[in-house]
Amino acid sequence: MQTQSARRGRVDPHLSMRDYDPEADLMLLHFGPQHPSTHGVFRMDLHLDGEVVVKATPYLGYLHRAVEKLCERLTYVQQTPVVDKNDYVAPMTNEQALNMAFEKLLNVEVPRRARWVRTLFAELQRIASHLLWLGTFALDLGGALGGGSTLFIHTFRERELILDLFEEVTGARFHYNTHTLGGNRHDLPAGFDVKVKAALAEIEARLDGYETMTLHNSIFVARTRGVGVLDGELALELGITGPILRASGVDHDLRRDAPYGAYDELKVRVAVEQGGDCYARAKVRVAEMRDSIRLVREAIEGVPEGPLCGFKPIRLVGQVKATAGQVYVAIETPRGELGTFVIASPDNPTAPHRLKIRSPSLHALSAIPYIVPGATVSDAVAILGSLDPIMGEVDR
Amino acid sequence: MAVTDPPERRALPVLAGAPAFDAPLYRTLLSAPGLSVLAGALDELLAWGSRNALWVFPMATSCCGIELMAAAASRVDLDRMGTIVRATPRQADVMVVAGTITVKMAPRVKALWEQMPEPRWCIAMGSCAISGDFYRNLYSVIPGIDTVIPVDVYVPGCPPNPEALMHGLLRLQEKIKATRAGTFAAPELNPALLTTTRPSIARVVDADRDPTQSDQQTASADHATASDKTDARPEGSPEPAAYEAVAPDASPARDFADLVRDEFGVTDIPAGMAPLVETAKHVALARRLRALGYKQLVYVVVSHYAAKTGARAAPERFELACAVRTVGEGSRVAAWRLALEPGEAVPTLVGVYAGADWQEREQYDLTGVRFAGHPDLRRIMMPEDWVGHPLRKDYAADTACPPWR
Amino acid sequence: MNALAHGASYGALIILTLLTTVAMGVWFERKFAGRMQSRLGPTMVGPVGLLQSVADVVKLLNKEDIIPRDADRGLFTLAPVLAALLSLGAAAVVPFSSTVVAADLDIGVIWVVALGGLTVIATFAAGWSSNNKFALLGAMRGIAQSVSYGVPLVLSVLVPVILAGTMSLSGIVAWQTRHHWFALWPVIPGLPALGLFFLAMLAESNRIPFDIPEAESELVAGVTTEYTGAKFVLFYMAEYVHTLVGSAVASVLFLGGWDGPIAPGLHWMVAKTLALFVAVYWVRWSLLRYRSDQLMALCWRRLTPLGVGLVLLASAWALFAPGGPA
Ligand code: SF4
Repeated sequence: MQTQSARRGRVDPHLSMRDYDPEADLMLLHFGPQHPSTHGVFRMDLHLDGEVVVKATPYLGYLHRAVEKLCERLTYVQQTPVVDKNDYVAPMTNEQALNMAFEKLLNVEVPRRARWVRTLFAELQRIASHLLWLGTFALDLGGALGGGSTLFIHTFRERELILDLFEEVTGARFHYNTHTLGGNRHDLPAGFDVKVKAALAEIEARLDGYETMTLHNSIFVARTRGVGVLDGELALELGITGPILRASGVDHDLRRDAPYGAYDELKVRVAVEQGGDCYARAKVRVAEMRDSIRLVREAIEGVPEGPLCGFKPIRLVGQVKATAGQVYVAIETPRGELGTFVIASPDNPTAPHRLKIRSPSLHALSAIPYIVPGATVSDAVAILGSLDPIMGEVDR
Repeated sequence: MAVTDPPERRALPVLAGAPAFDAPLYRTLLSAPGLSVLAGALDELLAWGSRNALWVFPMATSCCGIELMAAAASRVDLDRMGTIVRATPRQADVMVVAGTITVKMAPRVKALWEQMPEPRWCIAMGSCAISGDFYRNLYSVIPGIDTVIPVDVYVPGCPPNPEALMHGLLRLQEKIKATRAGTFAAPELNPALLTTTRPSIARVVDADRDPTQSDQQTASADHATASDKTDARPEGSPEPAAYEAVAPDASPARDFADLVRDEFGVTDIPAGMAPLVETAKHVALARRLRALGYKQLVYVVVSHYAAKTGARAAPERFELACAVRTVGEGSRVAAWRLALEPGEAVPTLVGVYAGADWQEREQYDLTGVRFAGHPDLRRIMMPEDWVGHPLRKDYAADTACPPWR
Repeated sequence: MNALAHGASYGALIILTLLTTVAMGVWFERKFAGRMQSRLGPTMVGPVGLLQSVADVVKLLNKEDIIPRDADRGLFTLAPVLAALLSLGAAAVVPFSSTVVAADLDIGVIWVVALGGLTVIATFAAGWSSNNKFALLGAMRGIAQSVSYGVPLVLSVLVPVILAGTMSLSGIVAWQTRHHWFALWPVIPGLPALGLFFLAMLAESNRIPFDIPEAESELVAGVTTEYTGAKFVLFYMAEYVHTLVGSAVASVLFLGGWDGPIAPGLHWMVAKTLALFVAVYWVRWSLLRYRSDQLMALCWRRLTPLGVGLVLLASAWALFAPGGPA
C-alpha cells in the first residue's frame, strides 16, 4: 500500500508495519526512555532490519511536568522560576520569552539597559548551550569511555566559565530567576565586563581546538556527513526552527527577522548551511558560537546606563493583573523559536487563562520519523544528538 | 479507594532499618573452615571495597542531570573517589535519581532499580527527586522518589551544586561504613517537619485494590508499544488526510487581515486579537496561506472555557488558536482562531503542515478536542490509558493517579 | 618433566604479573585519561589512587550475581570464563625474555592468532545467552568485526614470519636479535605491517575507534549489558589482558622483543609492551568511533589489500634481497 506521504516523496511517519515486507525478520528495539544517549527521558521504538532502521516511533511525555497547568494556577509574578526549568540548558531564554509575553500583554515598556542586558545574557546562554551540545554530541559519537568524553569534559570546562559569570550576577549556577516584568532583577556587578572578556578570550582560543577535533576530524565527518538529511521544505512544515532549520538551507533567524531586545542595534550574522545533515548542523552551531562571542563583546561594550526595570517593584504576588488579550511572543533561543502564547481572561485577572509554551525541541524531535528510517542504530544516535533536544522543554 | 492521610507516606523506608547487606563472596568465605577467624578483617576489606568504588547509574531525567554531568567533569571530577558512571544498571552500585520523576517514568525507575544487583544504594538528588519540588501537587509528578524506591542519601537543592553531589557520595560512604560496622543510627526526624512539608495531595492507597490493577498501571505506558506491535490502526480511525501540493502564489503580499476579510468572510476583527474563522474554512485558509509563503507552522493551541453561571453565564466552549509564519527577513505571523462547541471535531491540518501532527496530538491529549482526519490521534504526553484531559478547566491540577501517587 | 615444571612455574608467574599489570593498567588508564581531560583521575583510594582497581575488584566480587530469568544459564556463565581463559592462554607462548616463556611452541604465531580469533566465541555466547537485544546487536557487530579484522591481522603477522622464516615467536625474536628489528629494516613491509597489526589489534580487542560491539552510547554496554559482579570482572579483565598480550605480541614480532642494548632483555620487553599499551589508550581517549559499516569498508577496501601487498613485498624481499633471511 502506498500511503499519502509516500507519494510526497517522503518517508511515511505512520508506516504501518503490516504493509512492510512480511518476509523481513524485524526486531523491535526500545531505545529509551533511560538510555545513555537519549538526552534525558526520550524514547523511540526502532523497527530494525539487521541494523537498519525501518521505522522510528518516538514517544514523549516521560518528563511531562504539567508546567502549563501549573502556570494557570500561579499568578503572573510567580511564573518566572517555574518556566526556568523547561529548557534547562539555557534557562534564561525561558524567562525572557515568558516575561516578554507578559510585557506585551500588559503594555510594559522595557528600558533600553534591560534590553541590552537581556541580550547579553541570551548570547552568553547560547554559547554555554552550544558548548554543552558539542560535548554531548561528541559523547554520542565517541562514547563515555573514549574520545567523546574527552571532548565532553573539555567543553564542560568552558561552560563552567560562563556559569561562573552568571553565578556572579544572580547567585545561581542555573535556574536564575533574574528576568522580571519590565526588566531584570540583578544588575551587572562592577568589573563584570573584564571578566566576561577574559572568559570569552579563553573560550575563543579553545574553540579552534574543538573545531579541529570535530569538524576537521575524518571520523567525525564520516559519522555525520550525509547522515539524517532533512530538507528545508519539510523542516519548515514541521515547524522546525533555529540551527537545524538554518542547516537545511533556510535563512531564517528571529534575531534578525523579527528583532527584539537589542537586536535592532546589534546585527546578527546568520550562519546558513545547505547540507541539511548532522555535519551541517554542527557547522551552524559552531559558527553561531563564534558569532555569539562577537555579539557578547559588542553587547558588553554597549550596555547603556539607565534603569534596569521599567515596572514598579513587585510587592504582592497578585499585584499584576490582566483581564483580556491574547499575545504570542517568540524569541530565538539556542534551539530555535521559543514562543509564549498567553490568553488572559476576566475570570482570573491575576493568572493567565491559558499559557502555551511553543518549544523548539518538540518540533525538532518531530523530524525523527522522517529522517531516522534508512539509517543504522549508530546513525540514529547521531541524528538524535544533532537535533539537540531538551526533554524538559519537549514535554513541559 | 481509601485515601490516607499524607503523613503516612513519609514512612521513610530507608531509615526504618539498615538494609540487608547480602554479600555472596563474604558468605562463601565465611563458610570455609578456618576462615571465620578472619571475619573481622574480611568485613573491613569488603566494606572498604564497596564504599570506594561506587559506580553510579545516572537516573538523570532533567535539569539536575546536567549538574550530575558537571560533577563528572573536570571541576569536581567524581573519578577522584573512584566513582564512574555506568550506563547499565547491572554494573552500578548507586542510583542517582537526578530530576523530576513523572507517573509515566516511575514504573521504569522501579524496574531499573530492581535490575541493580545488591548491595545497592540510592541518592535522591535535587528537590524534585526528594519531594517533587513545586510540581509535587500536580497530576503527573510523583512527590519524591522515596515513594517508589528506598533512598539512602538526600542531596537538597534545585539543582544541587556538583560539589553537593560529591558531598552526598561522601556521606553515603560514611553510611556504608557505619552500616557495616553496625553503628548506623537513623537520624531523628523532626515531627514538625512532616506536617509542614507534606504535600496537600493525598497519596492514594487502596487496601482492596487488586494488585494486578497496579501491574496494569505499571505497564500502562507500554500500551503504545503493544498496539504498535499488532499494528492495527485504531478501529475506525480515518485514512490520513489527503495531501495536495500547494502551488506557490506569486501575487503580491497582502495584509492578512484583508485576506481573511475578503476571501474568508470574516467581518469583525477585534483589536489585538486574531480573527475568528469558521471551522469549515480552517484547512482552506491554511492552504491559502501556505501558497502565499507562510511556510512555517508556529503553533496550534486549544483552550477550554468552562461553563459559567450567574451574571456572566456562558456555555462550555473551546477555542483553537493557530499561527503560521513567513520566513526570512521581515518575518510575518498570521494567526487565526476557531470557536468550537464541546465535542466538535476540527479538521486536521496534517495534510497542509506535517508538523500539525504532534501539535494536534498534544492538544487532543491535554484538552480532549478531536481532530478529524488525523492519521494517528493518540495521547502523546500522558500514558495511553490515562483518564481525563488535564488542561480542561474542570480537571483539578492535583488529581491523583494510583499507584504512584 | 623439567619442561612441564618450567612451563607451570613461568606460566603462573606470567599470569600473576599480567593480572597485576592489568590492575595497574586500569589505574594508569584512569589517571592518563584524567590528565587528558584536565582532571585528576583517582586520588582518594590509597596513595595517588593506586588501590582504586583493587577496590573495584573487591567491590565487584562482592556484588550479587544476577542471571536474567530468560537467559541461557549455561552459556551465560561459560562466556566470561571462556573470554578470560582465551586471553590468558594467548599469553602462554609470548616470550618475555629468552627464558621467561611458559611454552615455546614452534607454531607460536598460529597459537596467538587462533586464540585471539576464538574470543569471538565468548563474545557471541555472551550476547546470545543474555537474551537482551542490545547484547545481541553487540554480539552481531563483534562477530562481523573480529572475523573481518582477522584477515589483516594474519596478513600483517605473515610479514615477520616470512622474513624470519619461522613460526616460533622466540625464533622471530632471535632472528631480529641477530639482524635488525622488522619495524626498522626492511622498513617498507616492516613498519606498515606494525601499523596494520596495531589497527587490527585495536579492532580485535574492541578498542576505540573500533569499539562498536560495546559502543555504550548506542548499545548501553554491548555484550556485557546483563553481566554483574564477578562475571563482569572476567570480561573486563579479558579485555585488558587481550590488549596487553596484543601489545606484547606486537613488540615481539616487530620491535625485536627482548632485544636492546645495556639493560637486561626483560626490561626491554616490558618497556616496549607498555609503550604500545599506552599508545592504545592514547588513541582510545582521543578519537571518536566509526560506524559498523564504515569499519567493514575500512577493513576490506583498505587494510586487506594493504596486507596482501605487504605480504607480497615481504616474500619478494625474502627471495631476492641480498643477505635476506638466514
Ligand atoms: S530539583 Fe530543580 S533542578 Fe533539579 S530537576 Fe527539579 S526542577 Fe530541575
